[in-house]
Amino acid sequence: MHNFEIDSTQIDKIKKITTEEKSFRIKNLEFFKATGFPNKRFEDWKFSDFKDIVDKNFKELDTKKVSSNIKKIDLLRDFEHNYILLLNGNLHSSNFDHEDKNKITINSYDKSIDYKRSKNPLVCLNHALAENGYSLEIDKGYKFNKVLVIYNLFTKDIKNKILNNKNKIKINEKSELHVIEYTINESKSKFINNVYESIVLEKNSKFKSLFIQSNKSDGFFHKFLKNKLSLNSEYLNLIFSSGLKFNKLDIECDLVEENSRCNILSALFLNENEHQEIKTLINHLAPNCKSNQKVKNVLSSNSKGVYQGKIYVKDIAQKTDAYQLSKALLLDDNTEFNSKPELEIYADDVKCSHGSTSGNIDHESLHYLMTRGLNREDSTKLLIKGFLSDIIEFIKNPKIKKFIESMLEKQINEH
Amino acid sequence: MLEIKNLQASINKKTILKGVNLTIKPGELHAIMGPNGSGKSTLANVLSGKNGYEISGEVNYRGKSLNNISVDERAQKGIFLAFQYPLEIPGVNTNNFIKTSLNSIRKSKGKEELDTLAFLKLVKEKSSELGIDEKILSRQLNVGFSGGEKKKNEILQMKILDPNLSILDETDSGLDIDALKIVAKGVNSSRNNEKSFLVITHYQRLLDHIKPDFVHVLSDGKIIKTGCGGLAEELEKTGYKKLK
Repeated sequence: MHNFEIDSTQIDKIKKITTEEKSFRIKNLEFFKATGFPNKRFEDWKFSDFKDIVDKNFKELDTKKVSSNIKKIDLLRDFEHNYILLLNGNLHSSNFDHEDKNKITINSYDKSIDYKRSKNPLVCLNHALAENGYSLEIDKGYKFNKVLVIYNLFTKDIKNKILNNKNKIKINEKSELHVIEYTINESKSKFINNVYESIVLEKNSKFKSLFIQSNKSDGFFHKFLKNKLSLNSEYLNLIFSSGLKFNKLDIECDLVEENSRCNILSALFLNENEHQEIKTLINHLAPNCKSNQKVKNVLSSNSKGVYQGKIYVKDIAQKTDAYQLSKALLLDDNTEFNSKPELEIYADDVKCSHGSTSGNIDHESLHYLMTRGLNREDSTKLLIKGFLSDIIEFIKNPKIKKFIESMLEKQINEH
Repeated sequence: MLEIKNLQASINKKTILKGVNLTIKPGELHAIMGPNGSGKSTLANVLSGKNGYEISGEVNYRGKSLNNISVDERAQKGIFLAFQYPLEIPGVNTNNFIKTSLNSIRKSKGKEELDTLAFLKLVKEKSSELGIDEKILSRQLNVGFSGGEKKKNEILQMKILDPNLSILDETDSGLDIDALKIVAKGVNSSRNNEKSFLVITHYQRLLDHIKPDFVHVLSDGKIIKTGCGGLAEELEKTGYKKLK
């Protein structure tokens, strides 16, 4: 791709903008322009050369606003839920009929500019241009009755667009929220979605989120997730986002107060040239915190998977318990999996460990299943499902679990 | 039922079976004994259709050659192999697996698939017949099973799948006397004048509970002696060396 120019006049077009916000945006645009899209010379992008991916897939790109509309959306019927509908990242509507609405505040994106300079060019691009997204806050002491589904719908008319969205969720003391981010792609053409999301967990709060796609798409996704966990708070992220051409989740978790717990778990079935990266940085900044990461990838037909997981333990963060494990199952010779674990530890009384394995389908297991009358294909599918199943076990609601299982099964059966 | 003529098998250019001849008629139970490394497990693997062996000679099952018949097709045609070391398959529920297995065999025979209720009834019946705690069946396939539980699970699968030819590869190894009796019960209760068994074992003690029609001694890839049940007792006293 040649001549990708971002029109800085776009910042001028943003309405109701303070001088500070404007200069923050212009500064970030300059940061982005100094590097452009990150290529493999950036350490954080060494396995996912984004510049190369963009060059290969886009002849043109622009960041101009789209104003799309939809008549109606098919809501999930598998389980009762509240919902937020995002249209190309823009907050379209919401429904909290199962909840006490006084406890919930939902708005368009959060305008604060209180961000440190990022080394990630795509985050800079987002800070410069994002004017869509949502901001959700849950009052003190409120537990959601039903799960919140965030329908993330991409419309047909976003060809060659870069959509920059900014989201924020704040869960106040002793509150609890479960979210399913459900991406629906109506777009048949290529586009880029670049999201910055921050999640703030106050004392004794709980947040569980789950990512899944309804269908395959030609979307190229990048999401930077910044999580802040206070005293006794608990964060769980379940990633089932198979089916995207490109997806990079860059997750940063700051365990800022004692006894906070962070769980990042993933089960991906990558197929047909799909490329997904999960990059994590878990910052243990206080004593007695716990983090657990388990990333499982099944790779088929030219797909590529990446896991870069870093655990940082500050000197005062004694009694840290941090664990990470990556397991990959490669079904074809033309698939690739890269794993880069990193531990940086400055405290002396901690428990930190990591493990990484990758391999092919075990032929002895295949033989065993086939001696019971299952053909090679069904036996292979059974082994794949078995491989990914322990991540699904983390879903406690039986209806949601069944829903996710059937989605995953569909992906595996299409293989 | 099974006719093996001059069967030779090699793996990684090493010849293991060097011309095995064996005929098993319907209703017969044959035992194969032999020292370590004589080719007993290879024979079981080759009969199951396992990949990786270079094979010559003839193997006919119910009058038809098994050449080029895949592992799953052999199972569908009624050949069952109870493994010496049953594999642990994480994430696969034992009950679901046996049900899928049974239904794929039924389907290949043109029979109707069993629904969950009918299947569970069958499982209950067969496991209580053998005195097996059906609780293990709600666990992941063989994962965390004790050696005895794994072997009992193999025998239960044999009972449920109801094959014509059952090959038991050292199913008795590592079993205590109670588990051994369960295995023997599983075999004895299935015996009739249509079903055949090939029981591979190291020890005579299983043959105290399962009375074989014939006992063969496999040594260095060949059957060097065939006799009736008394041969096993003789071997127990004298060992294999004298036979050579």
